[in-house]
Amino acid sequence: LPLFTTPSPSPDYQSGKGSRRPCPREGRKKINQIKTTKYTLLSFLPKNIFEQLHRFANLYFVAIAVLNFFPVVNAFQPAVGLIPICIIMVVTALKDAWEDLRRYKSDKIINNQHCFIYNRKEQDYVQKHWKDVRVGDFVQLQCNEIIPADILLLFSSDPSGVCHLETANLDGETNLKQRRVVKGFLHQESRFEPELFQNKIVCEKPNNNLSKFKGYMEHPDQTRTGFNSESLLLRGCTIRNTEVVVGIVIYAGHETKAMLNNSGPRYKRSKIERRMNIDIFFCVGILFFMCLIGAIGHGLWKGKFSGLPPFDVPDANGNFPSIALQGFYMFLTMIILLQILIPISLYVSIELVKLGQVFFLHNDIDLYDEETDLSIQCRALNITEDLGQIQYIFSDKTGTLTENKMVFRRCTIMGNEFSHQENAKRLETQKELDSDDEDWTKCQYGAFPGLSTLRHTGKILFHMIFFQEKDVTPDQGLLTKVKDAALKLETLTPHKVTKPSFTTGSSITDFFLALAICNSVMVSTTTEPRQRVRCLNSPASASPSLPLLRLTLEKAWGQTPPLAVEIPPMWATRAAPGKTARPIIPEPEFCYEAESPDEAALVHAARAYNFTLVSRTPEQVTVRLPQGTLLTFDLLYTLGFDSVRKRMSVIVRHPLTAEIIVYTKGADSVIMDLLEDPKLRKIRAKTQKHLDWYARDGLRTLCIAKKVLNEDDFQRWANFRHEAEASLDNQDELLMETAQHLETQLTLLGATGIEDRLQEGVPDTITALREAGVQIWVLTGDKQETAVNIAHSCKLLEQRDMVYTINTESQETCESILNCALEEVKRCYDMSKTEHKFFGIPLPCQAPSSTMEAAVPDIGLVIDGKTLNIIFQGNLEKKFLELTKYCRSVLCCRSTPLQKSMVVKLVRDKLKVMTLAIGDGANDVSMIQAADIGIGISGQEGMQAVMSSDFAITRFKHLKKLLLVHGHWCYSRLARMVVYYFYKNVSYVNLLFWYQFFCGFSGTTMIDYWQMIFFNLFFTSLPPLVFGILDKDISAETLLALPELYRSGQNSKFYKMSTFWIAMMDAFYQSLICFFIPYLTYKDSDIGVFTFGTPINTISLITILLHQAMEMKTWTFIHWSVLVASFLLYFVVSLVYNAICVTCNSPTNPYWIMEKQLSDPTFYLLCFVTPVAALLPRYFFLALQGTLGQSPILEAQKLDKLPKEKKDLAIQEWRRQKERLSTACRVAPFPGNARLGHLQVPHFTEQELRDSSIKESSSPMKRHVGDWVLNRDKSSPLPCPGYVGHNQRSPSSSARPSPDEHLLGPSGYKAFGMFTDSQTGSPGASSRGSHKRSQSSLTI
Amino acid sequence: MERNSNDVRGLLSRMPDNTAFKQQRLPAWRSHLTAWAVLPGFFTTGAFFLGMGILLILSAKSVKEIEITYTSMCSNCAKLRENASNFYKECTCSVPFFIPEKMPGNVYMYYKLHNFYQNLRRYTISRNNRQLLGEDITNVENCAPFQRDSNGIPIAPCGAIANSMFNDTILLSYYPHSSTRINVPLLSSGITWWTDKHIKFQNPRSNNLPSAFTGTTKPPYWRKPVYQLDPENPENNGFLNNDFIVWMRVAALPTFKKLYRRIHRTGPFANGLPAGNYSFDIAYNFPVTVFKGEKGVVLSTVTWSGGSNLFLGIAYLTTGAVMWLAAFSMTAVHLKMKKRNIVSES
Repeated sequence: LPLFTTPSPSPDYQSGKGSRRPCPREGRKKINQIKTTKYTLLSFLPKNIFEQLHRFANLYFVAIAVLNFFPVVNAFQPAVGLIPICIIMVVTALKDAWEDLRRYKSDKIINNQHCFIYNRKEQDYVQKHWKDVRVGDFVQLQCNEIIPADILLLFSSDPSGVCHLETANLDGETNLKQRRVVKGFLHQESRFEPELFQNKIVCEKPNNNLSKFKGYMEHPDQTRTGFNSESLLLRGCTIRNTEVVVGIVIYAGHETKAMLNNSGPRYKRSKIERRMNIDIFFCVGILFFMCLIGAIGHGLWKGKFSGLPPFDVPDANGNFPSIALQGFYMFLTMIILLQILIPISLYVSIELVKLGQVFFLHNDIDLYDEETDLSIQCRALNITEDLGQIQYIFSDKTGTLTENKMVFRRCTIMGNEFSHQENAKRLETQKELDSDDEDWTKCQYGAFPGLSTLRHTGKILFHMIFFQEKDVTPDQGLLTKVKDAALKLETLTPHKVTKPSFTTGSSITDFFLALAICNSVMVSTTTEPRQRVRCLNSPASASPSLPLLRLTLEKAWGQTPPLAVEIPPMWATRAAPGKTARPIIPEPEFCYEAESPDEAALVHAARAYNFTLVSRTPEQVTVRLPQGTLLTFDLLYTLGFDSVRKRMSVIVRHPLTAEIIVYTKGADSVIMDLLEDPKLRKIRAKTQKHLDWYARDGLRTLCIAKKVLNEDDFQRWANFRHEAEASLDNQDELLMETAQHLETQLTLLGATGIEDRLQEGVPDTITALREAGVQIWVLTGDKQETAVNIAHSCKLLEQRDMVYTINTESQETCESILNCALEEVKRCYDMSKTEHKFFGIPLPCQAPSSTMEAAVPDIGLVIDGKTLNIIFQGNLEKKFLELTKYCRSVLCCRSTPLQKSMVVKLVRDKLKVMTLAIGDGANDVSMIQAADIGIGISGQEGMQAVMSSDFAITRFKHLKKLLLVHGHWCYSRLARMVVYYFYKNVSYVNLLFWYQFFCGFSGTTMIDYWQMIFFNLFFTSLPPLVFGILDKDISAETLLALPELYRSGQNSKFYKMSTFWIAMMDAFYQSLICFFIPYLTYKDSDIGVFTFGTPINTISLITILLHQAMEMKTWTFIHWSVLVASFLLYFVVSLVYNAICVTCNSPTNPYWIMEKQLSDPTFYLLCFVTPVAALLPRYFFLALQGTLGQSPILEAQKLDKLPKEKKDLAIQEWRRQKERLSTACRVAPFPGNARLGHLQVPHFTEQELRDSSIKESSSPMKRHVGDWVLNRDKSSPLPCPGYVGHNQRSPSSSARPSPDEHLLGPSGYKAFGMFTDSQTGSPGASSRGSHKRSQSSLTI
Repeated sequence: MERNSNDVRGLLSRMPDNTAFKQQRLPAWRSHLTAWAVLPGFFTTGAFFLGMGILLILSAKSVKEIEITYTSMCSNCAKLRENASNFYKECTCSVPFFIPEKMPGNVYMYYKLHNFYQNLRRYTISRNNRQLLGEDITNVENCAPFQRDSNGIPIAPCGAIANSMFNDTILLSYYPHSSTRINVPLLSSGITWWTDKHIKFQNPRSNNLPSAFTGTTKPPYWRKPVYQLDPENPENNGFLNNDFIVWMRVAALPTFKKLYRRIHRTGPFANGLPAGNYSFDIAYNFPVTVFKGEKGVVLSTVTWSGGSNLFLGIAYLTTGAVMWLAAFSMTAVHLKMKKRNIVSES
């Protein structure tokens, strides 16, 4: 623990527990200045060069440039040889410098922000820059100010010593957080006196854990006060709702938790780059081979001459080295000469192209979410193309597939279910309402002619009230009961303490009180969003000022639009008749800011039943009852939620009965175990039954329970608790222990079902991705039933799918199930396969009559966390993966974050596929990091997933365009650009190589070196860049309409081994043509070296540019202009260079050559025929391909040429055809039809299922296996029928009008899993994508 | 909704611009290669190429060219030159030949070297262009190993290229009758590039050439210093000597010819060289047997498309033919596809 002592203005910074060091000087104090730049002005050059040389390719080129300085081996003038690598490094350095400059500027802005620091001399707070803040300074912050450093809160203007924070900058959560003044500083005078502060602060070393912080303060009298993160104000957060706070700086600058959490962009290497690196090694091989030819050739050539020919020039000393040595030198010379066979500019180009691609990703308006005002964020800049090659998607459920916006759907109280059908209906019709909300608004304004000035506000309010998920329509039956019960409660007086009774009435009030109280929800009003409601119960607030009144009144109208019109404005201030001394306050629109959406949903539900949470302070909670009474509970303790306990509790004192009550809310599995009331076993069983229904409906369940404490018990516990809070060493464990000690022997009040609605466009996205050949797995921590239901509603599982469910804890069972399932699946596939062969490829797709054939159903697999553990421990991964290969979708329920990442790693490593993980919460972080691409959804659950992701999107549906369109584009662009680069460099360098055969392998270049450099840098560099950033091989609409086009990326169609070698062959061919046609033309003539090289260079340029043009599929004006400009630039630059360079490139120089060539008809004749001859094979091949047009990509390109309407028609036709084909494949005639019926032999009743889910310990697995063994012996000829469940719905069940009726109709419920029809449900009979459907999957 | 668009921008500050460029919706022409699209192009370019090919071949055929290799004919001289000690010994050799057809128009005389690698890297860079500009004739940088002689005097012109300059003299004689012999008038002017003669090569400024070259020495393989290259024409000396300039333009390929003289079209040669008997009188100085090379003389006329090389025409013809072949095969494929489509649709 570092030690901060702060009695003096210069605090000591000491490390080590208690060990004191001499007070350091001012200069060593930790200051708050931040510096995120990598370089300084001085260190930039050496540091940047050093960093660049870490890249292997750069090192290679530098080595070659250095080699060029040795006269015996040089191929170019030494200095000139440095140019390419210098330019590459300068470009990279400029890019780095620019990025660093941006960081520097943003640092400067941040460092120069102002804040108030206490100054001892002036005895007051003075304004200073952020960078001047030091550890130990006292900082005063006002409302809405941003916190400059990590500050320990010592004073708040709030009388209860609380300060509110908005942490959106840090974690994206917009709700307010409370922070408290350190204990012992609460009761101060109005002003905090820094002069009087004489304490020593000891706290932990700086770390990056945002939620953990602890330390203590040593007072002058040696007593200690502990504090924790509750009192820490984190840098970057904003002070809200609190006038003034004062604190002492604990961590500053880079030691703040916010800065320590900032890890910056990540580096990953994409699949293309990995592929590319392999090919670069091939290039190195080719280079080596060519150099070897050069070396040997030179030796042989030398050996030809008996004497010394006059053209053979000795070295500077007039000596001739031995032939072998000369051959070796020549080898090195050739390496220098042919160095660009390794594409030097490829790396830089790829980086630039990716920047461009990221730019367009950022700017896609379709990936922009208006609600959050966020576009996609690319945090990893260098794996854009991997988006186009994804084969597996691993998705989280909550918040990713679903909104994570909770809606209260139904509840059960004391064993009575309340179905809330009105609410359900409202939610159903919401969509329709949404569409014509404009008319609605207009109607509203028609009714309020006098309020035209308030139109705007009114409209917004209208939207808020009618179209927010929070709105709950109460169940009528329950509402009346609540009213009766509440009436009883309100007639209670503090003096008339009745014995607590478990009548339904009091339970109902208790239930709703618990919903309203047992949470950590903050209350604020919409009119002044961040102003907290505090003292509504004081009489003074009973007469609000007029403007406020008008607003609130309007809101009241908004709530009940048509009726409220009649009410005169006086109504608001008039006391309600009948009741005494109860001021009626017009209800303001409360805003509830909850830490989790579940809590908010429950509070809103309570409000719908008129148990309105009105205010919350650390000491008190105020709730308004249905009749308007305000009940203020003293909040004795709040035991916050944690994932171990899976529950939270509040301990309150009832204002009327003065009882001490514990309200507990938590996961059903936990609460049910804590109930200790034998009398109510029946209620418990009933509730459990309801809970199971809820889970099947995809609702999230919570149990509500209460406990009444007597005063003594409470005091004893409170002491215990106090001790725990004060202890420093094992505070966490002690706190946990005390909480668990209290939360026992609870009385069950009821349970709630909250719906987590599917995000918009999820089923559609999943269908599209599936069509694209992407396997989608859902990994969730949620319950199996909920997960399966969500899977159905988002079309992950279809009605007719065969679903294997594996829940087991024994390895043998797991293995045997896997074996059987595998066998089963394989047989099905084999059967369908043999049928196919029979039919041949052009299947005569006469729709197979549904009565005759049974389908080979798609297969789904549901597995839970425990089974996953078994699989990982028992070496069953292989079998598991093999089975999943046949599965359409896999669901892993109840899995921990670690398991999630293990599954991802397993699939990624074992199947060698590209994986993508998408999630929104902290529990998805490990999975996101494990996958090739991690996508974070910036949603309700903070920013942790986003911070660790490569790309952050706002909605799941954006994945569709991100992958299908941008992924495809980025991949196809980059892949083709890389291949083109290889081609380009090889075809150009080979020209030099061919020339070696005619110059005695001496390393002569027939092209001027400057022109070679220009060639690569200017004339042929821009078109590939533009191509890599802008080319669209297929339009976005077509890509979205035909997801199967995505498969081209998955199969690496544009860049694989064969593509590379074809490009190489083509490059060799083209270079041969480009060299030998001019060679044969100029043979035996008086052509000079550079006069010979210029047409070759020109021809090569034309060929390379035309080749690029053939690759381009879309031609915008940018493409045109860049190509034409490159071409013209070549001539302009060459002409100018050739005209002015008389001796500039001594000893060789290209003076006037271009001009001379341009006046020679042979030059034009050559420039015409050679590129045509060079490109003819490729062009012919492409045209042939286009004519035959078998691949989907080509077909799609054909479609793109059609006009809009025709295109749409053609796309429809295409899809129809595919469907027909696929149904023909799946619904192949099946001789084993009758047998398949037997697959469903063992069926288990609802009760059995229940048992198995409740008593997990009794291992129901084995029992079921036993059942199956019996069954098999009796009836089934197939070895493993028992594990197969057909999730089919009988026609009757699909015709059922409402799931609610099914669940709660007078006839009770039908048991799930009882549908034994062997008849295959036709695909058309599937119902809408709602997850309120029963599921008949057979579970083992 | 009557929301003001400004409001929208204000509220949604991070919304990307909805422009065609940023949304990648720029109007574009899409290329898609199908038989229909490319066949007309194939046929027309094919036809054009075939036509061009025939034209080029015809024009190349019209070029009259005669090449006489004289290394073997002057074998005694060749032998003599193999020994460096015979450096200053004269050796002449006469090579008679017959022109069967009249060579009309301008006739050019070239010398041709076989197997002489003027393009060897170390050879090509062994020169100094600044010296040749005449500004500083003692600048012998880059000329290794022919920078200075053994006394340290700079060589002018320095370097391996200049040192190995071709130094045979060739005279052409015409025999209208077996007894009469007319020396064919030859012009040494106009055989260089204009830019070479006027910009790249300049003599040092001085009243007379020998004084201009004082302080330098001749290249070791030369017999005479650079200012005495052409005893007949004082203008044609120093760095401005036409033969020197031609030699200094390094040939690209190991077998090359270099322009030596033009036939002066006067008298009987006003319309070119008439058919008949001729002979070359050669002062044989340049050794070639050391590197198994050969020397020759070429007399040639020219046309618009260059020399007598047929290859360009053949290249055009072949390309055109291949294009037509490709076009026909593509048509066949296309028709077959169409037929199959019709069949499968019906």
